[in-house]
Order: sequence, then structure tokens, then C-alpha cells
Amino acid sequence: MRNTRLAAVFAVLLLALASVAAIGCGGGDDSTTGGGSGSETSGGSGGGEPLTIGSDIPYPPFEQGKPGSYTGFDIELMEAIAEKMGRKAEFTDTSFETIFRDVAQGKFEAVVSAATITDEREKAVDFSNPYYLSEQAVLVKEGSDIKSLEDLDGKTVAAQQGTTGLELAKEKLGGSEIRPYPEGPDAVNALKAGTVEGVVIDAPVAQNAVEKSGGVEIAEKVPTEETYGIAVGQGETELLDEINKALKEVEQDGTYKTIYEKWFHLEPPKEIESETHEAE
Amino acid sequence: MSEFFHQYFDFTVMGDHFSEVLEGFFKNLLLFAVVVLLALIWGLVLALIRQLPGKKFAPLRFLTIAYIDVLRAIPILIILLLISGGIPYLNFIPKDIRIPHWFGQPDPFWYSVLGLTLVYGAYMAEVYRAGIEAVPGGQFEAARSLGMSYGKAMRHVVVPQAVTKIPAPMLNEMISLLKDTTLASVVALGESVLVSREILAESFNSSAVILAGVMFLVITLPAARLVDVLIKRNQAKVSRGAHIEVA
Amino acid sequence: MTDPMIRLDGIHKRFGALEVLKGVDLHVAKGEVVCILGPSGSGKSTFLRCVNLLEPPEKGDIFIEGNDICKGSGTGEESWKLDFVRQRVGIVFQQFNLFPHKTAMQNVTLAQEKVLGRSGKEARAKATELLERVGLGDKLEQYPERLSGGQQQRVAIARALAMDPQVMLFDEVTSALDPELVKEVLDVMRELAEEGMTMIVVTHEIGFAREVADRVIFMDQGVIVEEGPPAEVLENPREERTKQFLGLVLER
Repeated sequence: MRNTRLAAVFAVLLLALASVAAIGCGGGDDSTTGGGSGSETSGGSGGGEPLTIGSDIPYPPFEQGKPGSYTGFDIELMEAIAEKMGRKAEFTDTSFETIFRDVAQGKFEAVVSAATITDEREKAVDFSNPYYLSEQAVLVKEGSDIKSLEDLDGKTVAAQQGTTGLELAKEKLGGSEIRPYPEGPDAVNALKAGTVEGVVIDAPVAQNAVEKSGGVEIAEKVPTEETYGIAVGQGETELLDEINKALKEVEQDGTYKTIYEKWFHLEPPKEIESETHEAE
Repeated sequence: MSEFFHQYFDFTVMGDHFSEVLEGFFKNLLLFAVVVLLALIWGLVLALIRQLPGKKFAPLRFLTIAYIDVLRAIPILIILLLISGGIPYLNFIPKDIRIPHWFGQPDPFWYSVLGLTLVYGAYMAEVYRAGIEAVPGGQFEAARSLGMSYGKAMRHVVVPQAVTKIPAPMLNEMISLLKDTTLASVVALGESVLVSREILAESFNSSAVILAGVMFLVITLPAARLVDVLIKRNQAKVSRGAHIEVA
Repeated sequence: MTDPMIRLDGIHKRFGALEVLKGVDLHVAKGEVVCILGPSGSGKSTFLRCVNLLEPPEKGDIFIEGNDICKGSGTGEESWKLDFVRQRVGIVFQQFNLFPHKTAMQNVTLAQEKVLGRSGKEARAKATELLERVGLGDKLEQYPERLSGGQQQRVAIARALAMDPQVMLFDEVTSALDPELVKEVLDVMRELAEEGMTMIVVTHEIGFAREVADRVIFMDQGVIVEEGPPAEVLENPREERTKQFLGLVLER
């Protein structure tokens, strides 16, 4: 009696499982109500109006800190840019996976989040001139015999969800188990804990992990074609022009260099200066 | 409006990624199956320890109650993060146990198994307890007065009856558990939510996430109906029993 | 003089602030049938449950065949005492307490197998004999919910007897029964008494007490008020409280 009842429970679960395969991808298409669109951008770029920015925090050293006192390379650069625009930057912490959708929908006006400019993303948003030239780094445990990205093939590798590092790992490491963690620091922690043997992640993040957390080292820096840009909603030309103009000013008056050296302990590469001056 | 539907209900996106999401969903089901088995046993052990009589077992009882209370009071997410991030550091444990790769499953799978079993064992212990307490005290007395030891009275008389009282609440816990297997995404287990969020990151379209939701619905919805049927049937039995008692 | 079958001396029991038993003494000889009467709340059921330590007394001594089962802690929680008592003393409850997930047969065989270690075959033979004796030879494979209250109570008696007790305790075993079902249970008990079983019976059935008991005890407010042969206590009670109680019971 009891056993048959328990058996029935499992039978139902199994049946339901089988029907998943049968049903296919249908379902949930008959609801015609509900769900606002909310794609209106509030206000113009009038003087004093705060400039609302979305960013996936933490991603040190680009963005870090607690609500109300965010800091980092991106944050300080964006604050400088906003100042040139006569506005005050106001940051919202948000998830990287949805960040472009949200800026496209007008949840905030711009995104600064160590975001690489890609063709794919440019279908959804518009990017400013590049403000940063990125490299990917292969982060490994100190003393590891893994010396390059290729050495990682066949090993367990961590990366952050929705990042270029993850794409690079998927592309180059066909024999590896690749684990996408929700945040970069989770991936670094997995490396330190020993559950993964390498992390493919933005070079500055890797550098920061080496300095702050210790026990890990950069095995190889992989040059990419990647440049970071500030993203705005498609068609927000006026806002984009203002940002590009302000970026150029920040670049020329030396603010950019100061911020760069503060956060990366390095001189900014020459290329980036020429790129920021590139005409749109 | 149409933007909303395109974002969340794009059947082309769902179709393109169906097999990926389904594969992730199978991970959820596998995780569920392993945890259900372990948590049912672990929960019963906890519930029985909690019921142990006498002064001798007071410390054990206290520890068990503390365990159940604490585990029920902490978000599962935190427990998973603690286990997956912390256990690998425990160097005194052999590496094959600390970072398990058993039966072809990676360590995030086993960390999730451990975390969910610890928590759901506590939840299920409470369900068992309610079942045990629903068995009339006279049953235990009758068994004891026939000379059965505490353990025999529990095993042959109380627990078999308690078990018949718990399918509905237990099934509810199982439904929650199946849904909570998605929490394993935070420890980078490639289950349906992680897979569909990857798809979201690539395609900027949320439909794959909805697809994963539909897969859960297909199982949890009939299960929820079954809970209602079981509750109704149990109520019918109770009222019949009461009638006989009077007769 | 040999030891009585059961000897209880100065039994005290309290539930919280309520003192239920205030020093009760009772000696029961082998083969004797003692009926305990008294208003509800008089402590008679608690007293009965003290005999097999379902309610361990706080103070007092219980001797079974001369063995002090309350020695030491006085709580009777040690397992040898429980085993000793429960192998010798059977009890039947007001609410039958049959195991609902077991058939009549299984109710009677379970403890035989799990406690006495009898083989399945042995236990079944014993159970069949006992269930036939209580008139349920045709109900062996029925579950309790298919049996009337009287039938359930007879199964409960068979279940207790299967353990070969020296003493049987009956705790208001007919109180939960419809009037027309009372007789079949009392008949079984009467037979048992005639066969020489030592019995302590808490009951409201004055007729049964008069007919079957060797001795009747009247309890009230946690003490024994009056005791003696049924003819004496029931026909010519000396104490005012006994008279009052009997008057109330007989009026019904």
C-alpha cells in the first residue's frame, strides 16, 4: 500500500520527464495581456540631471566597492567624463548578462562595465570610442606547470558568465570542462581552492587577483582585438557624441593617464590614446 | 509589447537551443534524484534521533534540533557557496573526497548534492516528525506494553504508520527541491538555468530562460496536482477512521 | 506465606501540580481477579498503568513475584525491569490500540516474533488458537478498520495473551464500546478468569465485578477508600463515598 504510493510518485515524475522530450518547445504563447514595455528614456541630458550608469560590480579593478561608494578604473573615468558633460554619474549595480538589454530598454542611459566592443553587442547597443585596450590573461596557481592557454586544454577551466574570457576558453579549449561562474572572484576562488586549474579572464582582473589575493599568477597574457567601450541605447546619438567629446577631453588634460596609472600600476599603451581620438 | 514577447517568448530562440537547455535540465533531474534519495534517508535519521527518549540522549537530541533549526534558517545559496568554496581548502581530507569527481560528475555536482542534502534532510526531518507525532500515542504504548524495545516499537509500529501520513507534505518538499536544484548554477554546475543564462548572454534574448521554466512546469504542475489528490484521500481516510472509532 | 503475584506499596504519582496517587497499596494473589471501581479522575487508570510501568511511579515499591522492579532509581526506566515486567504483565486498553497497518493475525504475531523470537509458523499457530478462542477464527486476515469495536477489543486481548503473561490488566476495556458489543468482550474476560488468570480490571461494569471479581476495590481521589469481597463492597458499602458512587452508577 505505502510502497505503491511512493512508486506512483516516482512514476509520475518519470512520466513527466518523458513528456518534456515529447512536448518540444511549445507552451506559454497564449497570454496577450500584461508586461509593460517601459522603453522610454527619462529626461534629456539637461544640466545637473544625473547620468545614470549600469555596471556589473564587483569586477576589480574596473569596478568595486559598496553601494554609494563605488570606485575603480571605469567608475573614476566615467565620473570624470560625466563631469566634463556637466552632469553627475549615478551608478547602478546590475548583472552583466542582462546589462545590454537593460540599457537598450532605457533602464539606465549608459553602460560602463569593462564591456568589450563586439559586432554581436553592436546589434543591440551603440558603443563610444574605445577607452581601454584589453588583454585576456590565463590565471593559474602559483608554481603551476601550466604556462600557456594551450596547456589548459583538457583541464578544468573557470571563467565568468557572459564574458569574452569565457568565449575565448570555449573557442580554444575544446577538450576542457569550462565552468562559467556568476562573478569573476568566484572563478578566482575556485582556482585557489583547487577545483579548477586555470581561469581565463580580463588581464587587469587577473593582475588584481595576483596582487590582492596572492597564491595565483598569470601564466600568459593573450592579446585580443578587444577594446572596451561605453554603451548607450541604439539611436542615442546626441548622448554618444557628448560622451565621446568628454572622453577626448579627459584624455587630453591628463586625467585619463592619472586614473589609468592609479588602477593598473602601468602607463597607458600608446595605441589607446590614438584610438580614443579616432573619429566616430 | 511585441518587444516583450520577442524578448521572452521567441520560439525560434527556444527551438535553436532546445537540446542545450534540455541537457541542462537533465542535470537538474539527476541532481534531484540523488538528493531525494539521500535526503529521505538523512531526514529519517534526524527525525528518529530527535524522538529518542530519556536523559541519556538529551545531548544528541539537542544537537539534532540545533542542526535542523540552523539549516532551516540559512539560505541554501549561502550553504552552497560555503561548501563549494570552502571544502576544497580542507587539506586534511584526501583530494579525491575534497574535490570529488565520482560517477562522471564534476565536483560542483557533488557540492550541490551535499548542500541540498544537508538542507533538505532538515526539511524532511520536520515532515517525518509531523508524521510520527500524528501517530496516536496509544500505538507506541501498545507496542511497548507488548515488550517491544523503543527501537522495535518505532520500527515496526510507529514509523510504518507515520510514513502513510507524509506523502503529500513530502511531495511538496520534493517539488521545492526540484526547483532549488537551479541554485547549483552559482557553483557553476551546467544545469538548465546556467545554460539558459549563457544563451541569454550570447543572444541577448531571454527566451531560453523561459524554456527552462517550461521544463520545470511540465513536471512540477502534475506533481502539485498529485499533492492535492493525496491530501484529499488522506482527509477521506481520517474521517472514515473517526467514524469507526465512534462505532 | 508465599509472595503474592503482585505487591504494590505506597504508590505515589503526580502530573505536575496534580497529585493523582497518594500512597496506594495493593496485593494480588496468583489467580485472583481484582476489580477496581471509582469515579473518573479517581486515579484508578493511572494506578493500573503504574503496575506495568507505563506510568513509572515517583515513590513506592512494586514487587512482581517477589522482585522489586522499582529498586534503585525508583523510576523503573532501566530496561531489565521493563523487560521483566512486560514479559509477565499484559494490558488491554480502552481504545484497543490495534496496529491499523496490520491484520488481526499480524497484530497477534508481531510481538511474538520480534520480542519472544518465535518463528513465523509458531507465532501463527499461537495466534490462530487465541483468535479462535476469542471467537474470531473467521477474521484472521481482516484489518482492524474492517472489525467492530468489540471484535477489535477481542483481538487486543488475544494480542496480549500471545505473550503468555502471568497477569492481565484491563483498563476500562468496554467503555468505548456500543452497549450491544460489551457482552462479547466481557464473556472473553469471564472465561479467562475461570481459567485461573490473575487479573486486575478497572471497570464501570458493576455486574461483571459482582459476578467475576474475587475482590472489589473502590478508589477515590488517589486513595483506596474501601475494599473487600464484591458482596460486601457492592451490596453493603461502609463508606459514604462508595454508597454515593454506587447509587449514581446503578441509577443509570
